[in-house]
Amino acid sequence: MPVALLDPAVYLVILGYFGAGALLAGLVLGGFAALLSFWAGWRQAPLFIQVGRRAFYAATTMVLLAAVVLEAALLTHDFSLVYVAEHTDLSTPTALVVAGFYGGQEGSLLYWTLILGLLGSASLVASASLGGRVAAYATGILAAILSFFLFVLAVVASPFELLAITPPDGLGLNPVLRDMGMLIHPPVVLAGFAAFAIPFSFACAALLAGRADAAWIRHTRRFALLAWGLQTTGLLLGMWWAYHVLGWGGYWGWDPVENVALMPWLATTAYLHSSQVQERRGRLRTWNLGLVMLAFLLVVFGTFIVRSGVVPSVHTFAISAIGPWFLGFLGACLLFSVALLALRSGNPGAVAERETPVVSREGAFVLQNLLLIGATAVVFWGTVLPLVSGMFGGERVVGAPYYERAAGPLFAGLLALLAVGPLLPWRRLRRATYRALVWPAAGLALALVVLVVAGVRAVPALIVFPLAAGVAATVLAEFVRTAIRKPRAILRKRRHYGAYLAHLGLAVVVVGIAASHFGQQEKDVTLQPGQQATVAGYTLTYTGLQQRQLADHADFVAAMRFGDQTLEPSRATYAGLGGQALTHVAISTTPVADVYVVLADTGADGSATFRIFVNPLVVFIWAGGAAIVVGVVLGNVGEAGPAAELARRRIPATLPA
Amino acid sequence: MLFLRWGLPGLVVVGCVGYLIFSASGGSAEYYLTVSELRTHTHAGDVRVAGVVQNDVQKSDGGLHVTFTEKDGTASMPVDYSGPLPDIFKPGITVVVEGKLGGDGVFHARTLLAKCPSRFSTQPYTS
Repeated sequence: MPVALLDPAVYLVILGYFGAGALLAGLVLGGFAALLSFWAGWRQAPLFIQVGRRAFYAATTMVLLAAVVLEAALLTHDFSLVYVAEHTDLSTPTALVVAGFYGGQEGSLLYWTLILGLLGSASLVASASLGGRVAAYATGILAAILSFFLFVLAVVASPFELLAITPPDGLGLNPVLRDMGMLIHPPVVLAGFAAFAIPFSFACAALLAGRADAAWIRHTRRFALLAWGLQTTGLLLGMWWAYHVLGWGGYWGWDPVENVALMPWLATTAYLHSSQVQERRGRLRTWNLGLVMLAFLLVVFGTFIVRSGVVPSVHTFAISAIGPWFLGFLGACLLFSVALLALRSGNPGAVAERETPVVSREGAFVLQNLLLIGATAVVFWGTVLPLVSGMFGGERVVGAPYYERAAGPLFAGLLALLAVGPLLPWRRLRRATYRALVWPAAGLALALVVLVVAGVRAVPALIVFPLAAGVAATVLAEFVRTAIRKPRAILRKRRHYGAYLAHLGLAVVVVGIAASHFGQQEKDVTLQPGQQATVAGYTLTYTGLQQRQLADHADFVAAMRFGDQTLEPSRATYAGLGGQALTHVAISTTPVADVYVVLADTGADGSATFRIFVNPLVVFIWAGGAAIVVGVVLGNVGEAGPAAELARRRIPATLPA
Repeated sequence: MLFLRWGLPGLVVVGCVGYLIFSASGGSAEYYLTVSELRTHTHAGDVRVAGVVQNDVQKSDGGLHVTFTEKDGTASMPVDYSGPLPDIFKPGITVVVEGKLGGDGVFHARTLLAKCPSRFSTQPYTS
């Protein structure tokens, strides 16, 4: 009935049907692409390989269409959709309405699927040179993963679910999430998660096709770097958001939701290092394939853990029906990976050979990998302990002390390795190596002396800070040495020096984490206007309280004079949400420490209660984190040439499979 | 020879990781209980208890000290906690308290965590 189409209410309902239809079409195309690509790869049929690939692009287009429909529904406040009504309302600022796309369970899955499709398509376009079979199998695996997500979206958790009666307004976003951090942190983390599927697909495709040569390394490494870079940025943004918005004075709580984002990052960090052994020496091939697969399995596992509600977390996720589906998907991926590794990897490319001593670059990489995987195991065990112990009687949980005691020594070992490893030559030790070790040793000794003279007696601090100084000394000595001898080499060997910059950034991050962890001071005070409080030598004066009445909430703003600046921690109360409060932290950042003021409560007599933290060197975490990302980006963007050249020279072109 | 050179150091590292996990989780794992389980629980040391905050929240000491009743389905217990409260703390939300049940029958909480109304959940419209 064309007349009814003009009725806006009916038109909007049709928008919902349109999105659901796009998802179904995407599912059909994705399944077709998966089946056809596997068959065409097996039969080596170039025409059908191309058809499969294009079907994948078409499926991605359908996902894009669904995403556009959902975003349009959000922006037009189409409350006939459950998703729109539950996550936005008419008063939500437009930027957060846009962010509502990935703000809920179903929408975030759609966003994930979209990124998977887009990055997958980009990787397939870039992989035309890989040879028919590998590319076809990669298409097949990517399409299979995409189809799984589309199946969940179309059948189990659809963002296009309709309400029977269209409400006049939506429920709106929780005030805690009405923050600009919402615009940047979740999309980067979710994109990182999605990106891990691409190196996984190429690793599996190479094994299926019996090839794991230079081109494969180049491809997998490039997309592993992309996933790793997104995940690094996402983790840092998450820490930044927790610190600036949540107001508990810290940035990392070892919550399952944080842990599952950390684990694939650790595994991929291991891969990015051990893949160099393969590039240079042609070894550790199976191990590298295993690491790439592990990272993706950890992503799927993490998604299952945090979205099914099987472990107690301070983040409650809407309990939905997707848990069992993700568990099944995890099982399928695990079986597939293990079977591939067991049946197709051929001879395990062990690093061990008679003439390579343990103390060498190879040995350093192997030890680093073991420590990183060990740290992953520590985090994994802490995350699943409630699940495992729940099956055998009393459900038990671990908190931060467990992670610090179990992973702390491993991270210290990694730091020591970071100081020494880059100085060790490939294959065998030379006399010059011992001379080079003078620099980290000097940095370490100097830091130790300074700390002891300064009166630091805590053993963990006396271990971490000197080790970080050793890492910094190794990097700086390398930069100075090159800058004096052949400054142009720094530009020519960008990947090498970018990695060094990332190492330096990590040392800075470690100093920031250790300083704010060991040196945090806090104080709770109740002050009348005009009274002062002193924490760790910083004096703040409370000057008074202001109340502002805004449209949907009342705001109490306390003014604190700190030096020549005024800090304004505040507390908003949302009447419409059952009187929920929202604290706005006030932070004054100095190079030495952050003064972090939380307004805990206000009295009728104008008094105010504060919790004041002094967090030393937190700014080091953000600065060092930026250096890591910049180092890796500068070192690798457009740098495929030399690395690929190197790989081609050293690796036999095909595997004896 | 190969094993001595590469396998042994590797095994030592794996052993160290295993020991660290075992020793750390033995010492700091806490039981995660519901209020009704807490009554029959005899384990010494800190426990974590999840439950819903009831409508009797009493604040004192400038909002930094709070007492309330925590309830889950059948059982309830009084909780006593000092420290800043999470923003979303109010009657009706689920909290996880960490601490000890005192001889006075009051749970003395060392930490109080609110279940975060994360981006993945609001009160569902339907049902």
